[in-house]
Amino acid sequence: MIATDLVQVLLSGIALGSVYTLLAMGLFLTYATSRALNFGQGDFLALAAFLGMAGMLAGMPLIAVVIGVAICMAALGMLIERFAVRRIISRSKAGAAHLGWILSTLGFGMMLQNVIALAWGKSRYYSPPLFSSGEKQLVSLFGAGVFLEELAIGAAALVLAGTMYVLLYRSDWGRRVAAVSFDRHTAMLLGIDVKRTVMWSYVVMALLTGAAGLLVGPLSSIQSHMGMLFLLKAFAAISIGGFTNPAGLLIGGIAFGVIESLSNYVDSTFGDLYPFIIVLLFLIVRPMGLFGERKTDVR
Amino acid sequence: MNVKRGIGWVIGIAILALSAQAVAENVKVGVVQALSGPPAIVDFGESYLQGIEAALREYKAARPKHEVEIVTYNDEANPQRAVSLVQRLISNDRVSAVIGTVNAASVVAFSPILQQAQIPVLIGPSTATDITARFIAQKPSYVFRCSMVENHMIDAVLDWAIKRYKKIGLIHTTSGYGMFALAEIQKGMAQRNVQLVAVESGAPTVTDMTPQILKLKNAGVELLLVYHDSPELIYRAFQKVDYKPAVAASWGLSSKMTVNVIGKDAIEGAVMAQALDLNNAKAKGFDEMMTRALGDKYRWPVVAALGYDAMRIMLGAIDRAGANAARIRDALESTEGFAAVSGIPAKPFSATDHECVDPSQVFMGVWRGGRVVKLDN
Repeated sequence: MIATDLVQVLLSGIALGSVYTLLAMGLFLTYATSRALNFGQGDFLALAAFLGMAGMLAGMPLIAVVIGVAICMAALGMLIERFAVRRIISRSKAGAAHLGWILSTLGFGMMLQNVIALAWGKSRYYSPPLFSSGEKQLVSLFGAGVFLEELAIGAAALVLAGTMYVLLYRSDWGRRVAAVSFDRHTAMLLGIDVKRTVMWSYVVMALLTGAAGLLVGPLSSIQSHMGMLFLLKAFAAISIGGFTNPAGLLIGGIAFGVIESLSNYVDSTFGDLYPFIIVLLFLIVRPMGLFGERKTDVR
Repeated sequence: MNVKRGIGWVIGIAILALSAQAVAENVKVGVVQALSGPPAIVDFGESYLQGIEAALREYKAARPKHEVEIVTYNDEANPQRAVSLVQRLISNDRVSAVIGTVNAASVVAFSPILQQAQIPVLIGPSTATDITARFIAQKPSYVFRCSMVENHMIDAVLDWAIKRYKKIGLIHTTSGYGMFALAEIQKGMAQRNVQLVAVESGAPTVTDMTPQILKLKNAGVELLLVYHDSPELIYRAFQKVDYKPAVAASWGLSSKMTVNVIGKDAIEGAVMAQALDLNNAKAKGFDEMMTRALGDKYRWPVVAALGYDAMRIMLGAIDRAGANAARIRDALESTEGFAAVSGIPAKPFSATDHECVDPSQVFMGVWRGGRVVKLDN
């Protein structure tokens, strides 16, 4: 492999990995506050991609598209938390029924899929470039061609992971999240508005996913059922990074994207398989992920 | 005398009325198509169905001999579901014939059921090579097809390609269709004493194909054979690695959906196998009629035209045979003087050939100015 090829493959992997990172951060945050994973999160990504495409095709300025998508995503985050998570968790007892959120979030995601299919059909689309058109979409980086959206999504993953880190460990909101994550009843006794904290974690999840969807649209073809695949890879990113902090998720996401890209370069026949085999082997050696804690947190 | 004459008139009128009732029959035709599932498959299913419905609309408007109704089911490109729907068409809907579907695995799964039930099936737009050949030795075979056939298309592409390019590469999907195309292309290349200089693949769920395209570029591929459901990802990677090989593909590249996602300029010059010449007056008329009726929803002239012709062949057979399935089968096989809008010949089938598109009707098409036109040799 020559150096330029390596750079090209690495950059492609980093761009893909950044999408997984943003999704993984959403999963991490909602799990921390509600002990539930949003299985419909991939469909949030698809909807954001379609909304972004619709806005760009309608000739809206980029800033208006970003704001519009953010508002829709935030509203959806609130909706899923209110109707598909909070009610299920608050009404369920310990045991099997406690897993009702799997079905409710999955169902919410399927509704979104069908809304997309009704609005745009089941065909695949390309979202127009966000930043420029034609040859100007591409920049050269160390001799490799990179789309501006690829750079943007890499930067977004880095900035948002950093911001999330600061918010979680250096802000009041982060302390509330930590308290709710540790024990919601204790958090309530401490005067923390648990419902509000959980709801905001879903809003942040939706915004992170919206950012990923908006940026992935022009890079990959979009279709109504694209979400689950990205979600699956976000889980793989979590497995590598550990379910503990945004830095681990960033490293896990990027690592998975780069492994995926390198696998396709080395042997494309099983290019999608090797990354998952590597993750499985990695989990045997380090089941808690790179940054996960070996022992149960008993603070 | 007058009374006798009156009775005679009444009896005559009654006989006429009864015989007319006996001739006009209600005929149900089952249609199974993939109308949800992977977008590339849905594009086939929807376009073929558009053609079927257009033919039925025309038939009904022309005061037909029989009352024909289609019962349409969505198999979601799922063979198990397709089998269950075909069983439902046979047992509950009591159809006289079936048309469908795109997914080869579904067709392979339900064809033996229809053969056993002695209900004719007109397969389309599935392209898997040996579907009708599996049944042709059974006398009589109830399995017909109105679609392009994969090995005919591959032969057309390879015949065109090896005359023009020395370094030919392939990128294919790892689905059943892609692996089948890989085997057929390698076989076809070996028969022509040439070899592919590079072969790359991508899973149907792949979201970036930059690494694969980079390797094809490094191998010096001049002509890339594309047998992947997401050609747009390949074109995106071309831009990134600054590479512009000639592209030849299966007919999947001729959908307007493809040009919508790849872009008119990028796809210009890409060639593919075709069976509809839009320069032909009938094909042009069909294209205009469908555009008027469906607007942007009409995306794929060749697939819609084959669906249209398939339904017209079926309706012609029903006109001659009524609702009896065995007689419809015989009428399909003996169809003559058929005026197709696609490349289907006047006598589409015979006792030994149940494919309505033969290799001689397959030609190379090319994207020119946002339309697929016949490529001049």
